[in-house]
Amino acid sequence: MKLDCSKDALKNAVGLAERMVGKNLSLPVLGGILFSAQNNKLLLRSTNLDVGIEIEIPAKITEEGTVVIQGNLLSGILSSVYDPKVIMETSSENLIIQASNTRSVLKCLPHEDFPTLPVVSGSEAFSMPIDKFVDGVKSVWYSASVSDMKPEISSVCIYSEGENIVFVATDSFRLAEKKIFLKEKTSFKHVLIPQKNIIEILKVLDGVSGNLNINVNKNQISFSLADKDIYITSRIVDGIFPDYRQIIPKEYVTEATILKQDMMNALKVTNLFSDKFNRVDVSVDIARKSFVIESKNSTTGENKTTVDASLTGKNISCGFNQKYIIDCFQSLKQDSIIFRFSGEGRPLVIRGVSDQSFMYLIMPLTT
Amino acid sequence: MDNKQLWDSVLGEVQITISRANFSTWFKNTRIIKLEGGIVYIGIPNEFVKEWLFSKYDKFILKTLRDISESVRGVEYVIVTPEMKEKADTTPPSRNQQPYTQELPLSDLYINKDDNLNPRYTFDNLVIGSFNELAYAASQAVVKHPGNTYNPLFIHGGTGLGKTHITQAIGNSIKAEKTGKKVYYITSEKFAMDYINSVQNKGINEFKEKYRKYDVLIMDDIQFLSGKEKTQEELFHVFNVLYENNKQIIFSSDRHPNHIPGLEDRLKSRFGAGMIVDISTPEYESRMAIIQRKIQSNNFSLSAESIAFIAESLECSIRELEGIVNSIICQARLKNRDLAQNEIKLLIKNNIVPKKTASIKDVIRIVSDFYHIEESSIYEKTRRKEIVKPRQIAMYLLREDFSVSYPTIGEKFGGRDHTTVIHSCDKIKDSIKKDEVLVEELLQIRALL
Repeated sequence: MKLDCSKDALKNAVGLAERMVGKNLSLPVLGGILFSAQNNKLLLRSTNLDVGIEIEIPAKITEEGTVVIQGNLLSGILSSVYDPKVIMETSSENLIIQASNTRSVLKCLPHEDFPTLPVVSGSEAFSMPIDKFVDGVKSVWYSASVSDMKPEISSVCIYSEGENIVFVATDSFRLAEKKIFLKEKTSFKHVLIPQKNIIEILKVLDGVSGNLNINVNKNQISFSLADKDIYITSRIVDGIFPDYRQIIPKEYVTEATILKQDMMNALKVTNLFSDKFNRVDVSVDIARKSFVIESKNSTTGENKTTVDASLTGKNISCGFNQKYIIDCFQSLKQDSIIFRFSGEGRPLVIRGVSDQSFMYLIMPLTT
Repeated sequence: MDNKQLWDSVLGEVQITISRANFSTWFKNTRIIKLEGGIVYIGIPNEFVKEWLFSKYDKFILKTLRDISESVRGVEYVIVTPEMKEKADTTPPSRNQQPYTQELPLSDLYINKDDNLNPRYTFDNLVIGSFNELAYAASQAVVKHPGNTYNPLFIHGGTGLGKTHITQAIGNSIKAEKTGKKVYYITSEKFAMDYINSVQNKGINEFKEKYRKYDVLIMDDIQFLSGKEKTQEELFHVFNVLYENNKQIIFSSDRHPNHIPGLEDRLKSRFGAGMIVDISTPEYESRMAIIQRKIQSNNFSLSAESIAFIAESLECSIRELEGIVNSIICQARLKNRDLAQNEIKLLIKNNIVPKKTASIKDVIRIVSDFYHIEESSIYEKTRRKEIVKPRQIAMYLLREDFSVSYPTIGEKFGGRDHTTVIHSCDKIKDSIKKDEVLVEELLQIRALL
């Protein structure tokens, strides 16, 4: 194999491929990235057998061939290359990477053992703008459970609903739902993408523009970016996402509209005194027009902060995990947010004012 | 040849041709799901494996399969999720459909937060025998006129004999009468914790208020307060306030208040002011009744001989008795038949706490240590009072607790006659009835053993 290609394109591609390199697998070759030079394209492939990626970058190829290189080596080398171009060349068992100021000889792994990625063909296919997909995933992924105990909730669920695509994640203490409006109607059933994989996919797609083609079958999902020559595929969870609509309260007893910034500032202070459950007590007094949040810690002290709010409904006081409240601010783009209480011991719903697309639900802490 | 054997022989072939790393990555968790019309369906964990097996090993697998079984025409790969596989593997062969255990109804575990009472403990499910009839009568009187007849009521007895049951049953009965009396059950350990917390959080006034508002205060396992002076003082004040206002107070402990070490005298004297009743270990008839009751409540039946046998062979606390009955029921359900008597015997043998196994020398050493005398002096033929008493106690303990024969004891104690030993044991037995100090000493020595 012999080729030369743009350093930036290669560095970028290696950076993405590196993320999906397998760790602690019994097959050592999976700890590497496959480079395959063919038809004036350099193909990079990496996989941990749960999620995998293929990236093609343009290259001037003088001799075709395939090598596998230890994943983390290459980005280290490329970060010290200042030339716009690098030359890659194999000699016997080694790969030589050459630029004007530096020359590295890397040991190759046996490329015959490197697996190919499954092609997801068939059943369900649709496409959507990448930024919308990223927006949808980013709005909810943090709510997914991090433990592997229940695979169906340690994943982000995606399903279509008329012209909307709905993204949902929950860890059974809180739930985030984002609806993304598409112009055309799509129809596909629930897809559960493991949370670990969706984070990696998100990092690849974030900031990229264009259209995303998604293919789903019973066990696998694939994302391909037509013009960027990126192909990602991930295992999907074979399970049923909990029927979360049942827990969304239909009626509210108290509603509070608050400036997001005010709430964030207040929570910053109460956070200092949080106990081991991160408990914060929210109490609304309609007559006094006060919205008070309060936290206590038997070792450090306590804090009570009043937040300006416009209130309707009844007096209420409830305890919540403040970390969960803080989490949802990243998904709320509006300046004002609404807290909807459905009664003591019942869930709290947070939304942005005049934003129907995002909904966040937190279960209360029991006393 | 069944599917498993077939696949195992294919795996054997594969294993010798490819590296171990490759084998464990791609062929682990694979199996033949079915063989249909010459097509072998192979179950694999995920799409990545499918892709790789298909592109790399497909021909090889097919060839190996055909070598073994000529009828094979093709190979298909099917993804099976591990959960499904496990289920398929663990489905038990359909046996008797009777469930092994009945689930406890939730209410059993429900403890009311306001009064800490467990509704499971009532007088209805209490077995009354001569061992606890006094305690029962006293508690009935308390239920009828709380605060008037026996105040405070102090129930003491060994572990697992039903003190908690009776005290909680009093609380539940008073509550059931709906007179609006506020009942509160607390263990002394919780009381102490509560007190410590209140000191820490400067909530001592709230603490005082809290305990003074109850009409019936039940405090369990009071012996754990020993040595906690400040908590005792607080209990003393709580006691006085409640007592002056004719509120009922009920205590339980594993021994008589006078024998609880580290308990202040003023508390001891107050405990003694009301009624002190003790619960002893159930006698044979009561044990029968308890076993019967336990079996009934589990919807189980056991032959009369078996019940008699269990009652005969176990002289122990109710808790142990229940434990054994439980394990018998469980075993019988598991085997789906009644247990034979020797099986029950075995269960009893395995379940009861093994009898104390201290050697004669150990007993003598511990007794002599306890009375601060030379171990060797016990064996001597001296009649000094400070030696004689420990010697007699050691003999008594060996006889009573370890069932050593009189002649053997005599021999071990320097060749004494067995009548000497009998005399010693009788002497101690007599003294126990009169001498409170001796009883306490015996208790402590037994604890050391």
